[in-house]
Amino acid sequence: MTFSRYLENRWDDLLEQATQHVLVVILSVVIATLAGVVIGALTWRSDRYSGLAIGTSATLLTIPSLALLALLIPLLGLGWAPTIVALVVYSLLPIVRNTVAGLRSVDASILEAAKGMGLRPARVLWRVQLPMAWPVIITGVRVATQMLFAIATIAAYVAGPGLGNEIFSGLARQGSANALNQAVAGTAGVVILALLFDLLFVLIRRYTTPRGIRV
Amino acid sequence: MSVKTLDTAYQVTPSRWSRRNLTVPIGLIAAVAVLWLWVSSLNLDSIEARVLNAEAVRRAVVDHILLAVSATLLVVAIAVPLGIMLTRRWAKPLVPVVMALANIGQAVPALGLLVLLALWFGIGFKIALIALVVTAVLPVLRNTVVGIQQVDQSLVEAARGMGMRASRILRLVELPLAVPVMLAGLRTTIVIAVGVATVATFVNAGGLGDIIVAGIKLQRTPVLITGGVLTAVIALGLDWLGGLAERLLRPKGV
Repeated sequence: MTFSRYLENRWDDLLEQATQHVLVVILSVVIATLAGVVIGALTWRSDRYSGLAIGTSATLLTIPSLALLALLIPLLGLGWAPTIVALVVYSLLPIVRNTVAGLRSVDASILEAAKGMGLRPARVLWRVQLPMAWPVIITGVRVATQMLFAIATIAAYVAGPGLGNEIFSGLARQGSANALNQAVAGTAGVVILALLFDLLFVLIRRYTTPRGIRV
Repeated sequence: MSVKTLDTAYQVTPSRWSRRNLTVPIGLIAAVAVLWLWVSSLNLDSIEARVLNAEAVRRAVVDHILLAVSATLLVVAIAVPLGIMLTRRWAKPLVPVVMALANIGQAVPALGLLVLLALWFGIGFKIALIALVVTAVLPVLRNTVVGIQQVDQSLVEAARGMGMRASRILRLVELPLAVPVMLAGLRTTIVIAVGVATVATFVNAGGLGDIIVAGIKLQRTPVLITGGVLTAVIALGLDWLGGLAERLLRPKGV
């Protein structure tokens, strides 16, 4: 079967797997962004704590994904749960690191000015610092998203959702007519999704950055 | 040193701390010891005992390290000369093209690449090695280019003023100043290589992925945990060695 015929026949399945792939990545990135920004906001003032947070998330990122998924199975079983936990763990480093760097990059005189206007520390953080750090934070989120699209393929081996299933089923049917079609469709699908989201992030960055600091 | 490091997924700033940090290797050895004690205290059934015999585990560990280390060496042999070439004046127009290609390449999932190569060229160690090199090449390539580009141009001017030729400037000024950044990239490459080496089990290239996959298929928790912990220990251990190399190989005075 030619590749175009294959796409035509299996379009619905592929679309469903792609949707699930996107869903699991978005869900994980949203959780990781909330967690990462909170961790960054709590620790950025202290070299020691922010170093600890960044060092720990760097160590977690060092653990190979198949190993982490394997270690999560006894705790969480198979499927979506270990997949999401692993993906969240892997996206923490770029998000926490960029949050700390972004919050620190805000000019001290601006913080002084906000304080002088009578804003309390929590409001300075929320109204001044976070908006100004946002372009750096969103870069971390973008990088994490890119990485997760690739890592999520491996999660298919622990019964996770997404296009990884297409790749594994191609591998399992090695020698049969559709093996290569499946592997190509799965791989190309992930690349296309990752590149589409990269473009999407250009827009997200533009429309979520406060007007005053847009470049 | 101002290096753009906020748009990568990994930590690529040259590591800062200079005192010898022994907590990591001690912790890793302790983790392996605890694992060993725990596994030997269990009553393994016949299936578990077959997967977890000392010889099979030893071979998986050796294969895994061999695969990751040879991929890393190949990456250095390819990416460093290529990176240097890209920073020469005549190659300037090529830089954005190569970097764009490398960035798109980064979006290709390692698993997909591995399976495609296996379907096209067959399975085994060599195919896995090629996939590892392709997935892990970017950090060293990128950091070689960035590392040389961030060298203060006034230093290059000064060297030229002293009558040095381009090749001597490269060897005596640019490369030594770029080495810390290049070594930071090397560390990321090692981490990626160890990770992808785990997935190499799917194309019959051995390694600790074999034990993990056996644990998943046979639904045996001790096997799963042994495979997972040993893989994590190797990854963290090689990363620590990379950090050590980063400190020892850094030119004095930089």
